[in-house]
Amino acid sequence: MVSENAQTIAGQQTIAVRRKWLSSTDIAGWCFVLPLLVGVLGFSLYPMVSALLTSFHGNGAASAQWVGLTNYSRVLQDDLFWGALYNTIYIGGLSAILGIVFSFILASLVHHLPWQRTRNVFKAIFFLPNVVSAVATSLLFSLLFHPGKEGLINYALNWFGIDPVGWFTDPSIARLSVVFMILWSALGYNTIIFLAALQSVPREQYEAADIDGASALGKWRYITIPSLRPIFLFMIVMGVINGMKQFTNVWLIGGSAGNPSGALMTSVLYIYRNAFLSSQLGIATAASYLLFVFILLLTLVILRINSRNQLN
Amino acid sequence: MDKTAPTLPTAPMQRGHKTSRKFTSFAIMFILCAASVTMVLPFIWMVMTSFDWGARLNIPFPPSFWPEDPSLRTYRAALTNVDLIRYILNSFVVAIGVIVISLFSALLSGYALSKIRFRGAGLVLVLALSTMMIPFEMTMIPQYMLFNQIHLLDTYWVFFLPALNYAFGTFLCKQFIDGLPGELREAALIDGASEYGIFPRIYLPLCMPIFATMVILQFLGVWNELIWPLLALNNPDKYTIQLGLAMFNYNNGSRQMPSIIMAATCISLIPVLVLYMFLQKYIVESIATTGIKQ
Repeated sequence: MVSENAQTIAGQQTIAVRRKWLSSTDIAGWCFVLPLLVGVLGFSLYPMVSALLTSFHGNGAASAQWVGLTNYSRVLQDDLFWGALYNTIYIGGLSAILGIVFSFILASLVHHLPWQRTRNVFKAIFFLPNVVSAVATSLLFSLLFHPGKEGLINYALNWFGIDPVGWFTDPSIARLSVVFMILWSALGYNTIIFLAALQSVPREQYEAADIDGASALGKWRYITIPSLRPIFLFMIVMGVINGMKQFTNVWLIGGSAGNPSGALMTSVLYIYRNAFLSSQLGIATAASYLLFVFILLLTLVILRINSRNQLN
Repeated sequence: MDKTAPTLPTAPMQRGHKTSRKFTSFAIMFILCAASVTMVLPFIWMVMTSFDWGARLNIPFPPSFWPEDPSLRTYRAALTNVDLIRYILNSFVVAIGVIVISLFSALLSGYALSKIRFRGAGLVLVLALSTMMIPFEMTMIPQYMLFNQIHLLDTYWVFFLPALNYAFGTFLCKQFIDGLPGELREAALIDGASEYGIFPRIYLPLCMPIFATMVILQFLGVWNELIWPLLALNNPDKYTIQLGLAMFNYNNGSRQMPSIIMAATCISLIPVLVLYMFLQKYIVESIATTGIKQ
């Protein structure tokens, strides 16, 4: 190829070659990143720009017409959009927070076990639900959470004298049920990451605390948690981003209407509905940009709070 | 051996300390076992129900973990209702294509960004990393429109072409190759090797750990993906396994055929569970190392 000649004499001529606008090394480098570049430009940047343009154009037959910010104001005036945003924050925020709390506790407990083998067994068990697809999880939980008395969870609750709960049929509970389902499937992932992080806490700090006679809980509170701060931050940001993207499970459980009574209508479901069921591409892309900006702002706020706390 | 082990115990305290440690370990084991049971019970119920011909119409009351009428007919019913075997094979085709293309792109670019100091490398890296922040849900509509325009909807190109953009893989490869010595390349260049031959001959064989990690992550990703196949594939012959499995979903409130649905779910899980059984330690390890880097 182009560089063959240059390569054979690379030894002596690197200095001379480097003065050219594109050296053979540069050409080789760009050849190596070409596949990535095609992917990034074609399937990430182009769609972003294209979505932005679509959001300023009319819907359906009027898609050639420039409408300025009309789509954005229509989305912002749509009660369904705000309802979807509320549900998304409810489900995403609660599952992120509970997920972090529970998985950190589990990881700390596993970490305190003195037997390596047992630790690995627990790791494997907790992570297992994570390889199960969202479709399979939703099918399984819609049976476990069957609203009748024959549903396994309701049957178990019956022992404690609790009446059957309409897990996925009662609008006031459906969001919480989805949170339980997400916790079941995602807890192991966070636990594994916390465990890896726990191993990286410097040992000397614990040894110093032992000399001072600190209790295990005290060490956990004053050494472990503060030194894992970056991991917590990472988990919160990732949890928020992932939580805002819920689609598959709510779509399978509540259909594209977000049943029961729109309690499971999430933002991505709102975008999907507008784009692919009522072909309002302008509305859908405007909503997706609003969601993107919202996620970005939320991330910035979290990072900001963190840096302020760090100063104090 | 553990960080909790007391380093400088005073003599009278030691006894009490030891018993309390035993008690703590016991309490921890108890909590962890309870958590494990919660994690595993849904699986057990799923597998047991999937063999229960008696649960083919409704969940039996009282619900039980032991099949009332154990039979394999539920599996036959699941396979005759929906052509799951075909969808599993389709998913394998998609997964293999995506893995080959995305690893090709990620390994080459990761190597170049790590070892070849070419003009513009910094720009490419920033570009790739910033697209990692863009959620797929943002770009799915224009991607759909793009594939519609170039008449590739309903073909597997909808998976293969975007696989070129595996920025996370690029990042992983760059990190990994950063840890390999650059002298290997320089020595080979002095010996007259071509820039294009150095990577496949010298560095690629050293990249096997990150190679395996990416294969596992990409396979799980492709296997469990629903939203993009749902948008891009209309022809039922082309469906992937998750689309096939989703056909067992009934959004009408009264859920029918529990044991057949569970049989279908079990069938869809077999490849992933087999993978997990053999590579469990490795998968957990890859998540632990890549998760933090992400």
